[in-house]
Amino acid sequence: MRSNGSKLKSSPRKAIDLGAPALGDSTLTVQGLLDESRYEESIRVLPDVNVVKIGGQSIMDRGRAAVFPLVEEIAALAKQHDILIGAGGGTRARHAYSLALDLDLPTGVLAAIGVSTSRQNARILQMLLAKHGGIYLNPEDFEKLPLYFRVGCIPIMVGMPPYEYWEKPTDRGRIPANRTDSGVYLTAEFLGARSCIFVKDEDGLYTEDPKKNPRAKFIPRIAARELLDMDLNDLVVERVVLENMLKAAHARELQVINGLVPGNLTRALAGEHVGTVIYAE
Amino acid sequence: MAASTREGRPRRTHIPSKLMRESLLDKGVMASTETDEELDILPDVNVLALGGQSILDRGKAALFPLVDEFVHCRKKHKLIIGVGGGARVRHTYHICLDLGIPLGGMAMVAGAVDEQNTRLLQSLLAKHKGITLNKDHFLDLPLWLEAGMIPIMTGMPPYHYWEPPTDGRVPTHGEDLGMFMVSEVLGARSMIFLKDEDGLYTADPKKDPKAKLIPSVEAGELLEMNLPDLIIERTVIETMVQARHTHRIQIINGLKPKLLRRALDGEHVGTVITAGSAAQTTRRKTATERNGRATRSGRSLANA
Repeated sequence: MRSNGSKLKSSPRKAIDLGAPALGDSTLTVQGLLDESRYEESIRVLPDVNVVKIGGQSIMDRGRAAVFPLVEEIAALAKQHDILIGAGGGTRARHAYSLALDLDLPTGVLAAIGVSTSRQNARILQMLLAKHGGIYLNPEDFEKLPLYFRVGCIPIMVGMPPYEYWEKPTDRGRIPANRTDSGVYLTAEFLGARSCIFVKDEDGLYTEDPKKNPRAKFIPRIAARELLDMDLNDLVVERVVLENMLKAAHARELQVINGLVPGNLTRALAGEHVGTVIYAE
Repeated sequence: MAASTREGRPRRTHIPSKLMRESLLDKGVMASTETDEELDILPDVNVLALGGQSILDRGKAALFPLVDEFVHCRKKHKLIIGVGGGARVRHTYHICLDLGIPLGGMAMVAGAVDEQNTRLLQSLLAKHKGITLNKDHFLDLPLWLEAGMIPIMTGMPPYHYWEPPTDGRVPTHGEDLGMFMVSEVLGARSMIFLKDEDGLYTADPKKDPKAKLIPSVEAGELLEMNLPDLIIERTVIETMVQARHTHRIQIINGLKPKLLRRALDGEHVGTVITAGSAAQTTRRKTATERNGRATRSGRSLANA
């Protein structure tokens, strides 16, 4: 036969001399492979950008009454700030997930179909913001962000990360762990953004549901680790965002604000604390 | 027209569904979405992951015999081949780290090496119906497989700029994890990793002559062993514990190409890793939770 294993061992792998023994002749799974002190910290790609998530169910599904004031506020803010908008999904994503779940489909399929609802909302927001410079940003055009900001645009993108069929299964149920919160947060982390703000329909995180328990306490500020340790039954942001924050290089903080209150976004962008701030240690 | 309901002030318009008004982050809601009968989308396809550094970087001597084996095996089995990067990925990471490129940027540019290797392999397999599968054409798989094609795809998953941060500085979702997820989401018949060793060892046998072959191991056990060097990405093992379909993977020596037909026939010719009891525990726990909403009361109010 043409070959056998022992002979092949002498057919060398074509290596590249890296001048870096740590990377030169190892698999990349070796623990401690990277002597991290050898490398500087990673750069911030777009440090002036503010990444703002517009909630699907919380904002978009409320229609004109909630969306129009927010659109006007964003248009005014964009004159002073670079704002990148990520769109959430909402009730139509839930309907699609319900159908997929009923059909016994796996997590990867749910993640793939979830993108479409988020894309609808991104396109709707683009039409509303077009006259103020709103532009729909395909994930494939992500590298064009500097141009868009240079000319004063307000890029609007799908909140869902592009994992789709590659979304990993979780230990609890089949709803994808990475949805629009995760995608928007990771956008801020990659860009090394100035801020990451989630616009939702409540003031932030409470100890309990204040609609049911008037003595529920508002949590203005909490560490991601602490919040994870509380092991709450429900959360204000996707759990995976908190887990990612613990290891993040840049996006070490995010703020959840109530977008139904006019002026909140303006104040949050000015650095004010108007909702719940979640931070890494 | 489907009935919608409106509520709240300003009112939200809902479509009635099982998840309407529910927080998708509520543990009880999440657990209620478990099923014991998750669909196998393409249950007769076999997913092969071809190592970049271990196989492709060796060139003709390693690749030509394997290409012959792929052609032979395709007569009996449907195959999808995923291709890894290798030396040029490692070089890419080194340069990127030196320049301070963030993790997501590294994940974004590394995939180009897989693309090169995909084109190389496709050129060799073209006359045997090898075809490059762009991830945008993932849904065309049934057509291609029925037509007897051998789809060849890049191993890296499309995480790109959205690669999640880790304790280290290089992406953890590489070609092994990418192909594992192809197998998992399709409910594939088998998942086989082709590397340049007989399987998984207690240490890297290229460096440590005392390294011992581990013929079979459970994913949970393997994670607990916390070996310094794994022949396969750790993320695969971690993900396997949660898998609904791919509960068995095999790592075989691609330098002994005829092992592939035996592995495809279900023989144990390398290292077999099984999801094992860890996965079962997970599923049981989930099933218990499903019977009642979790009791911890803390609750957030925002609906994303």
